[in-house]
Amino acid sequence: MITLYDYELSANCYKQRLLMSLLDIAYESIPVDFFPGLEHKSEAFKKINPMGHIPVIDDDGFVLWDAHAILVYLAAKYDPSNRWYPTSNPELLGETASWLLFAEGTTNTASAARLFVNLGYDFDIDACRAGAHRLFRQLDEHLWFREREGRDWVCSAPHPTIADVALFPDVILSEEGGVSRLDYPALRRWTERVKALDGFATMPGIFPLGTS
Amino acid sequence: MVDAQTSWHPIAAADDLPLRHVFHGQLLGRELAVWRADDNFVNVWENRCLHRGVRLSIGTNNGMELTCRYHGWRYSNRSAGCTYIPAHPADAPARTISNRTFPAVERYGLVWSGETPEGDVPTVGVLEEGSPFTLRSLPVNASAEVTFDELRFHTFQPCGAHDHTNATPIISIDQLDDRSIVLTSTSDDLRSTVVFFVQPVDAGRSVIRPVLSHTPDQHEQIVIWRHHALMLASTVARAERVFADQPDPPPMVAAIDEVPVDLRTLPDPSTNRQAPLRVQVSRKWSTATGVAAFELTSIGAPLPAFQPGAHIDVHLSKGLIRQYSLTNGPGETAHYRIGVKLEPDSRGGSELMHQSVREGDVLAISEPRNNFPLRRDSLKTILIAGGIGVTPLLAMAQALHSMDLEFELHYFAQSEDHLAFGEVRDLVAASVTTHLALSPSQTAAAIEEIVRSPQPTHQLYVCGPGPMLESTRTIAARAGWADESIHFEYFKNTTRRDDSSTFEIALARSATTLQVPSGTSILQVLRANDVALPSSCEQGACGTCVVSVIDGDIDHQDVHLNETERAAGDQIMTCVSRATSPRLVLDL
Repeated sequence: MITLYDYELSANCYKQRLLMSLLDIAYESIPVDFFPGLEHKSEAFKKINPMGHIPVIDDDGFVLWDAHAILVYLAAKYDPSNRWYPTSNPELLGETASWLLFAEGTTNTASAARLFVNLGYDFDIDACRAGAHRLFRQLDEHLWFREREGRDWVCSAPHPTIADVALFPDVILSEEGGVSRLDYPALRRWTERVKALDGFATMPGIFPLGTS
Repeated sequence: MVDAQTSWHPIAAADDLPLRHVFHGQLLGRELAVWRADDNFVNVWENRCLHRGVRLSIGTNNGMELTCRYHGWRYSNRSAGCTYIPAHPADAPARTISNRTFPAVERYGLVWSGETPEGDVPTVGVLEEGSPFTLRSLPVNASAEVTFDELRFHTFQPCGAHDHTNATPIISIDQLDDRSIVLTSTSDDLRSTVVFFVQPVDAGRSVIRPVLSHTPDQHEQIVIWRHHALMLASTVARAERVFADQPDPPPMVAAIDEVPVDLRTLPDPSTNRQAPLRVQVSRKWSTATGVAAFELTSIGAPLPAFQPGAHIDVHLSKGLIRQYSLTNGPGETAHYRIGVKLEPDSRGGSELMHQSVREGDVLAISEPRNNFPLRRDSLKTILIAGGIGVTPLLAMAQALHSMDLEFELHYFAQSEDHLAFGEVRDLVAASVTTHLALSPSQTAAAIEEIVRSPQPTHQLYVCGPGPMLESTRTIAARAGWADESIHFEYFKNTTRRDDSSTFEIALARSATTLQVPSGTSILQVLRANDVALPSSCEQGACGTCVVSVIDGDIDHQDVHLNETERAAGDQIMTCVSRATSPRLVLDL
């Protein structure tokens, strides 16, 4: 059984919950009082993750932290289709890694702006927002060309990968950080395609696709 | 300098509006929700729900209506009229709840709109003569003016020369107006023309929307898109640098309009059976034995929003006014569709509709009224139709179907040939049961079976001939259905009416007392005294002329109110009902 050290409002923890829902992996969520308790900085928690951050998973004794690293591990281990983290396809694997690095950027800008607004983190908010817009503009153009190639997803495969899972939370929650997506129509369309995936999961602040 | 407020502007690319999507746009500081309905109509709306101001761009487009995320208010394709408010399931939303709409025209692969645009969308010669190919639009963090100025220095390679990065093409400029410019790039014997439109988003943002004059071969398209995206990116960067060095311009504030005149004025009290709409019979056909169907298309302004169960008054020659239910599904707003049964004992109305009204004729009609509103909060809805009574229930069936709500439509008719609107029934076929050629006693038995197990979470809607309604009323009551769960719509009031009484009415709010003599209705007395009151059927069937009663005993002669409503004694159909007490106090 996988244990997820989890905070409901964290975009990075949501990435794990989303992937496990998409892959239909059973897990147990252990809530960490990230705010205002700063439990992840406590000595007790540092025994689990000495870096003092979440998410962390414990898979039958194997402990791993860093949001995108956990996505890599979960998909590599628990996705029998080998699509979400395509270890047998070097080109696609490289692309996926490249977009995971890009997602570090959206986490450090768009999601950081959200922490500034929602939880009062001391960040340079103008720099966060400007950085988020710069990356969203690139991602919007990238996805626009993907649509022209008849592709729906961030990587060139005809199916989503963990790159989509890594980017989606930072993008869909950006308005909470004051980063509008009005200028990025292709990005908005992509968020709807993610929401339409079988096994899609929501979190506070994210609507499911409307039905009727 | 053209006035931006009265000009057409591109606000989106046509392919920004895929199936069931809501595009988030902005023009001149005003946010827009832009969505394409399944009938291909492009809706450009103010991006806020009339209820709580939530952005409609996060709402749900089901191809027919846009539903707000917050409390589920539903707005119709075209008219943007509110069709349903989940918190008030038993009420028909007021006509005044209508979102602000802006015009939309698709041209050159772009969607054009404007605040109050005058004339037609401007045509561009090179695009009219060519085969326009829409390039990728780019957002710019600079005013439209700065962006436009920088476009004069924009450069690109003609098609076929995109790998000649070192060659310097010759760019010729043809400025059309202060927001569109034509650039032609020539290199050796190659030449391409691109028209750049600049959309003013707000004071500090704009979008460049380029259109190539000729569509390249399929295999070249990606290369051409990429070349223009790359070249435009440097023009965008230049414009953003120039703009960043300028003092901030004053913000653009979109004016919030007052409620339009036609929504805020009260109807003229002198005549309340008005027919403000003119429609053309765009199609007339026989949909079943003895039933003519009519498609009525608006002349000029779009047709007002309607809800399932609504009817219109059709004004015919010789002063005849008849009510017909709309059979339209949600969002089906390009025309109204009604069905008219030829009554053997026609008092003239159905005969005129069948024999005299032809395709192309213009008819005067009222706005849709809904006295038969459909609740959408029941676990199951049972619709029972007798003959032509199917018309409002077809509208309901389509609305329930579009929302994935469980329902059954039972359609009683004389024979297969008497079943009307097959093409509409096909849309909801899985939920339709037909009951053909039944005698009155067999009909009663079938209805008994349908209403056998009443549930508080179920609702029953019945429309058909009077005797069938009466027998359904009895059967359902016997089965244990509560009055408030059953809803009837009568075509007409066939009960014998007695207008011999005399009494007085006191208008509580107006501090006026009036006498109602025998042979005259309350409605007629009110009209004669300039009291505005809408009415429709004027025989106690439709429920339009209802008034609240504060005191006095009512002599109900209508068929609209059910037993519970009658017993409550707090409302009266002023066209037929009277008083048994000497005085009736009305909330007027």
